[in-house]
Amino acid sequence: MKGFKPSPPFLLLLPAVIVLAAVVVVPLLLSLYSSFTPFRLTRPETFFVFIGFRNYLSILSNTDFWWAFGRTVLLLTIALNLEMLLGLGLAMLVEKATRGQRILRTLMMFPMMFSPILVGFQFKFMFNDNIGLVNNALQSLGLTQDAIPWLIESHLAFIAISIAEIWSSTAIFAILILAGLLAMPKEPIEAARVDGCTPWQTFRYVTWPFVMPFAYIAMTIRSLDVARAYDIVKIMTDGGPAGRTELLWTLVARTAYSDGRMGMANAMAYFSILLSIAFTVYFFNKLAAARTQIGAEW
Amino acid sequence: MDENSSARLKRRLTGIVYRIGLFLAMLTICLPGLWIVLSSLRPTVEIMAKPPVWIPQEISFDAYVAMFSGIGKGGIPVIEYFRNSLIISVTSTIIAVAIGMAGGYAFARYRFRGKSSVFLGLMLTRTVPGIALSLPLFFLYVRLGIIDTHFGLILAYVALNVPFTIWLIDGFFRQVPKDLAEAAQIDGCTRWQAFWQVEFPLAGPGIASAAIFAFLTCWNEFALASQLTRSVSAKTLPVGLLDYTAEFTIDWRGMCALAVVMIIPALTLTYIVQKHLVGGLTSGAVKG
Repeated sequence: MKGFKPSPPFLLLLPAVIVLAAVVVVPLLLSLYSSFTPFRLTRPETFFVFIGFRNYLSILSNTDFWWAFGRTVLLLTIALNLEMLLGLGLAMLVEKATRGQRILRTLMMFPMMFSPILVGFQFKFMFNDNIGLVNNALQSLGLTQDAIPWLIESHLAFIAISIAEIWSSTAIFAILILAGLLAMPKEPIEAARVDGCTPWQTFRYVTWPFVMPFAYIAMTIRSLDVARAYDIVKIMTDGGPAGRTELLWTLVARTAYSDGRMGMANAMAYFSILLSIAFTVYFFNKLAAARTQIGAEW
Repeated sequence: MDENSSARLKRRLTGIVYRIGLFLAMLTICLPGLWIVLSSLRPTVEIMAKPPVWIPQEISFDAYVAMFSGIGKGGIPVIEYFRNSLIISVTSTIIAVAIGMAGGYAFARYRFRGKSSVFLGLMLTRTVPGIALSLPLFFLYVRLGIIDTHFGLILAYVALNVPFTIWLIDGFFRQVPKDLAEAAQIDGCTRWQAFWQVEFPLAGPGIASAAIFAFLTCWNEFALASQLTRSVSAKTLPVGLLDYTAEFTIDWRGMCALAVVMIIPALTLTYIVQKHLVGGLTSGAVKG
């Protein structure tokens, strides 16, 4: 126990750092390098040809890429905002329940157990234009006579994908916001009510600031794997019809594995990595800010 | 008097609206899953029927029987996929939790320079989308000859899970009062003993939840597995699900049955951990 010893936290964190360096950081450096080459899977010798920023430049002028990029950002914006709102609503509904809260909470977590790929299949099945639950229900109710081409028409396909995405991830928001609501002290709410606040004011100025850090935790967790959408899209439409639901991630996969253009795909992948990192850092900072605010008020 | 009764009416109305809202919300959440279960039990003719058959006429377990009776009978090698999934998920979970415990303990109990940036740095490795990570890993694994092996996938999944297990386990150790371990040390325990005999048992249920969460992540992962595995010897269940899709047709019933097989372990495990999971994620949300 005597003599020189590296500090305990350093030793304790070492295995994590080693694993992550070996499996994430080093491969990423490799892919960073190969994004500067015209590397193709079929022609290994191209790995050593250096072409500078040519891949990046050709991405910048690639309209397919920018459509996919814009679509990804749009999907994330719509999905995250709606998930947040619906999660908040769901959490408040469940919190109000007087009986059977445990069962409700379990039901609420139900979608969390589905792997994204299952979500994809499930909604592909439900949105099937011929035998899907959605069209069957609409036709049986007499709302429409035609089979609505949910996954074939590009706007409808985008909507269907958003619904699948929202269905699968609202639970994370709901469960964490519910935890916040349950952990919240009751006195401030009562005090606000005595002071004559309307229910909306009570919510806006008392409940919401308290619950906010919990919502940001949910956001941070979600931003850690926004790329879940890859599985869903891959299964539901595989980027179709005619590339109209192509997201950044499906485009990367297609460029790399179907076209075999690894160098180009790696350059695209870097855009998607930066996008994810931007999301995470943003919410992580929000989380830190919300925490200190709460700390000051209570 | 009049005001009283109208207030009562209003309250009753809000009650009813609230119940309907709750019911609809829960229906939306559960319906897709129930539909899958129901479809796995119906004959294909009924699934394909036009106009739709709403009330199942006959219930059978044929899809499940076919699934487990091997390749020859039109099924897919579900047993092999199941075994692969299990081996890969369990091994990588154990390793990820061991590493996560060390890391989480470091974050919960020690102060050191750059703590929050190290934490953020670890988290950032998790943000790399699976598909983006799969490109260099695919290339490296081919070179190292560990493509399409259990080992390769286990390695990738450990790295995938470590950041999150650290976050969760950090939260659980923070919930254990520091004084307890200090008291044990005063009573003559070494730090090592204090950890195993005092802090570990107290954080135990939380660590178990972290383990289950890591297990589920591996169990459900698709983007990496679909590129890093090729054959029956290493494919996992999510990748196996694709076997039901042919060029233009999909065996919906078989797929629903496999979906049910995949979801049952996940369902049971999530139910067990739900309480702890939330606790670990949110600890420190209010008191930084």
